[in-house]
Amino acid sequence: MSQKVTRRQFLNYSLMGVGSFMAAGMILPMGRFALDPLFKESSASDMIATSVKVADITEEPVSVDFTFEQTDGWYVSEVTDFAWVYKEGDEIIALSPVCKHLGCTVSWASDASNPERFFCPCHNGLYEKNGENVPGTPPRGPLDMYEVGESDGFLTIGAIKENELV
Amino acid sequence: MLFNTQDLRVLKDEIEFIDTAIVPVVSIAFDNEVLTHANNLELMQLISIQLEKQLKGRLMITPAFTTVTDDHTSLIAYKDQLKAYGFKNVVSIAYQDIELDGLDHIRVNSIPISDMDNEMKISIINDEVKSVIKQIIGVWNQ
Repeated sequence: MSQKVTRRQFLNYSLMGVGSFMAAGMILPMGRFALDPLFKESSASDMIATSVKVADITEEPVSVDFTFEQTDGWYVSEVTDFAWVYKEGDEIIALSPVCKHLGCTVSWASDASNPERFFCPCHNGLYEKNGENVPGTPPRGPLDMYEVGESDGFLTIGAIKENELV
Repeated sequence: MLFNTQDLRVLKDEIEFIDTAIVPVVSIAFDNEVLTHANNLELMQLISIQLEKQLKGRLMITPAFTTVTDDHTSLIAYKDQLKAYGFKNVVSIAYQDIELDGLDHIRVNSIPISDMDNEMKISIINDEVKSVIKQIIGVWNQ
């Protein structure tokens, strides 16, 4: 390796080296900006965190609030909804409080004669603890449920889906 | 149910279940009390929305009935129309007492909410809504 590096070659190499650093310095941030929407999409559709610890959830259904952004036309607002959350064995179940009859809000054990059922005050609709509608009352289907998860010990709530327990 | 085309279509088929019309009554005026009126109007909207959320399947919240001079005579015609449409109960909600035949009335408190922080506002409105719901259930059990 006794080949001499000429002045011309040395200048070429160093210019190319410095030039490629400068080009990379310009292109990499642009590339990151271009890709940014892709990364953002995945984090926005994620689960919504709540302020309830998974360890604190018992077999008694409690209402758990969660807040998300809702778009009405072009007006974006923050909406707080809630779910009835309880533990069945090791599994956590989050039921939607929206009555399947005409959309009232149901509550747990608010009817004195049905202490272990969800009750809809509008037309006396009843649901079992797993969300199954009690025959003979107005609702025609079981309560919907939410996907649930856990993040740092706190409960997270995801998309709404049909009841899978009934 | 709210006064929009989607809910009104459901209402047409389910009028036997959605048997109660709620008429929020507010007054507006450009006088010395204009700020109070604005506050009251906003409070009434918030109460109505929360009320609709809780008892959506049995209530039809009509747009706020707005008067300028506290003259409620046209409310009688409105009430008759609602009854003719098929509503069994027509309930008005207002900050003052209104006495009309065939109209159940609920009085709510006028609370200055505009300067409160959001959490306080929500808890106060929820208290107000709770008392309104109790009275509506009272109307149903009459």
